[in-house]
Amino acid sequence: MTRKITVDPITRLEGHGKIDIFLNDKGNVDRAYFQVPELRGFEKFAEGRPAEDMPQITSRICGVCPTAHHMAATKALDDLYKVDPPPAAKKIRELVYSTFYAEDHALHFFFLGGPDFVVGPTAPKAERNILGVLGKVGIEVGKKVIGFRKEMRELITLAAGKVIHPVFGLPGGVSKSLCAEDQRKFITGGDHAVEFAKFCLNVFNDVVLKNKQYVETILSDVYTHKTYYMGTVDPHNKVNFYDGDLRVVAPDGTEFLKFKSGDYLKHIAEHVEPWSYIKFCYLKDIGWKGFEDGPQSGVYAVAPLARLNAADGMATPEAQAAYELFYSTLGGRPVHCTLANHWARLIELLYAAERMKELAGDPEIIDPKVRNIPKKIPVEGVGVVEAPRGTLFHHYQTDARGVIEKANLIVATQNNAARIAMSVDKAARGVIKDGKVDDGILNLVEVAFRAYDPCHGCATHTLPGQMPLVVRVFDSHKKIVSEIRRQ
Amino acid sequence: MKPLVLCLGNELLGDDGAGMLVARKLKATQGHGSDIIETSLSGLSLIEYFIGYKQAIIVDAIHTGNHPPGTVIELYPDQLRSVIAPSPHYAGLPEMLELAKSLDVEFPEDIAIFAIEVADPYTIGGAIDSRVEKGIDEAVIKIKARLKRWQSLTFRTAARKKIDGNPGTVAR
Repeated sequence: MTRKITVDPITRLEGHGKIDIFLNDKGNVDRAYFQVPELRGFEKFAEGRPAEDMPQITSRICGVCPTAHHMAATKALDDLYKVDPPPAAKKIRELVYSTFYAEDHALHFFFLGGPDFVVGPTAPKAERNILGVLGKVGIEVGKKVIGFRKEMRELITLAAGKVIHPVFGLPGGVSKSLCAEDQRKFITGGDHAVEFAKFCLNVFNDVVLKNKQYVETILSDVYTHKTYYMGTVDPHNKVNFYDGDLRVVAPDGTEFLKFKSGDYLKHIAEHVEPWSYIKFCYLKDIGWKGFEDGPQSGVYAVAPLARLNAADGMATPEAQAAYELFYSTLGGRPVHCTLANHWARLIELLYAAERMKELAGDPEIIDPKVRNIPKKIPVEGVGVVEAPRGTLFHHYQTDARGVIEKANLIVATQNNAARIAMSVDKAARGVIKDGKVDDGILNLVEVAFRAYDPCHGCATHTLPGQMPLVVRVFDSHKKIVSEIRRQ
Repeated sequence: MKPLVLCLGNELLGDDGAGMLVARKLKATQGHGSDIIETSLSGLSLIEYFIGYKQAIIVDAIHTGNHPPGTVIELYPDQLRSVIAPSPHYAGLPEMLELAKSLDVEFPEDIAIFAIEVADPYTIGGAIDSRVEKGIDEAVIKIKARLKRWQSLTFRTAARKKIDGNPGTVAR
């Protein structure tokens, strides 16, 4: 008899992920499936609209990472009109983007990763939340997080107009230059961000790395997959969030591919499975061989751990030191432990902060020339950035007036979908034994996908605004034999 | 200090944009006397908006299936289920209020929620349902009435305080 366990959000079936776990007669996992929602219909929606509207429209796709969509769309417009922004414009864009990264990664660490690691993956359900995190690290830390995010968001507003829906990206540049006063504020903000990032790394060190059990969990085989990794790198193969080439490393850490963003369709393809409506990205150069680890399988990962694995280092000194410590502690590059994403995210937070400081201190950033006017007839453009959750592709084809005829978006979670599915399956097999399924065990399965921070932000607004979960256990006649509600 | 009117939603997703439309209609009216913010953020990312305000109204779409589309439902935070969300992306208002309380930040003492029952908050590019449009108009009227009531209570409280030093209470 096969039993079916479903971890399923009950409010918005189209907008959220769910986990189906099938048990065999002995109560062990036969197969577990994680279904992530796909952003369906957006490409169609974009058709017939002026490409210039895309930075504004696409930033409204998602309430979690609007700045990433805005930036990818803006870069796609640069490519569409074959216009190169002036240096100051590029620097302002990257400055805003680094600031966005700092606030986004900080939120993740304390609010999402924190409950799993600061509080602990097997802690009682009622404590695995931000309040539990604050219980461990202190209320003052909570105030610090809120204050830090507020400062970062005010800086983004200063340069980009709106935090939620930035309005500053234009083909060929940005809409507004920075003045000396703005620059001073960013320099101060950069100092605060560096200090905050170091503080977060200290918290991680004290609470997670000094806890033997947590380190064993991070390193355990249950949460390990040896796949390819992809991320954007600068000309020195250092991590870059805003621009560069895409680099793919093999499971043994050697460079497998390096390509320009415009060539992504030559290297990335999508596989369809009957049980999921998301398409699973894989490396075309290898081919789809199923949900498998190893060099023979085209499965790859994106997001913080993948970015660090795909690069030779960080471009700023303190982040580089943190990067070296990361790999020396975890046994060298690449690290295949999914849960190391939480640590990698903090190293990226430090890099974003240092990069903010560098850019803000650059005299050229207040150069008033921030736009080159597009003059070419548009045909096709691709824009790629590293969103906090992984590589984000925007690709538009237009008529000669710049009206979109075809749009293609690949969001971070799609890139990661195959590996997330593998992680959930492996974690379920690892932790569910002899039919014992309780809240703590299911949380250990969820830990596997939370490390990727899969984002379903496009559909989370209706009240009460949270994602209730229900865990249902079915017998072979599809009769519910037990149910756990998570709300 | 003006009250905050925080309007939530995603205008790309059909009826999910109801809150946004309330914001725009409210802005177009005279004398609303509030700070109106539209946002498609969700969960704990919203907390910063509230800090520093004494009174706040939240406007959002709600999809319960228990009311005809367009029904305007007035709620108070304590009426929402106390939920500990598994992710900050989905963290709800109860958790946010709990967090604000524990952090002891300056958070609104009076929060009212106006939720508009919607028909289809899922379709990208979908138009607003005509019944929901009526609900939007009704919500604007109700929100204005609430703002006016708060305004007069604040005025009376301030006046009483001036006369006899009694700060009084601000009712819902």
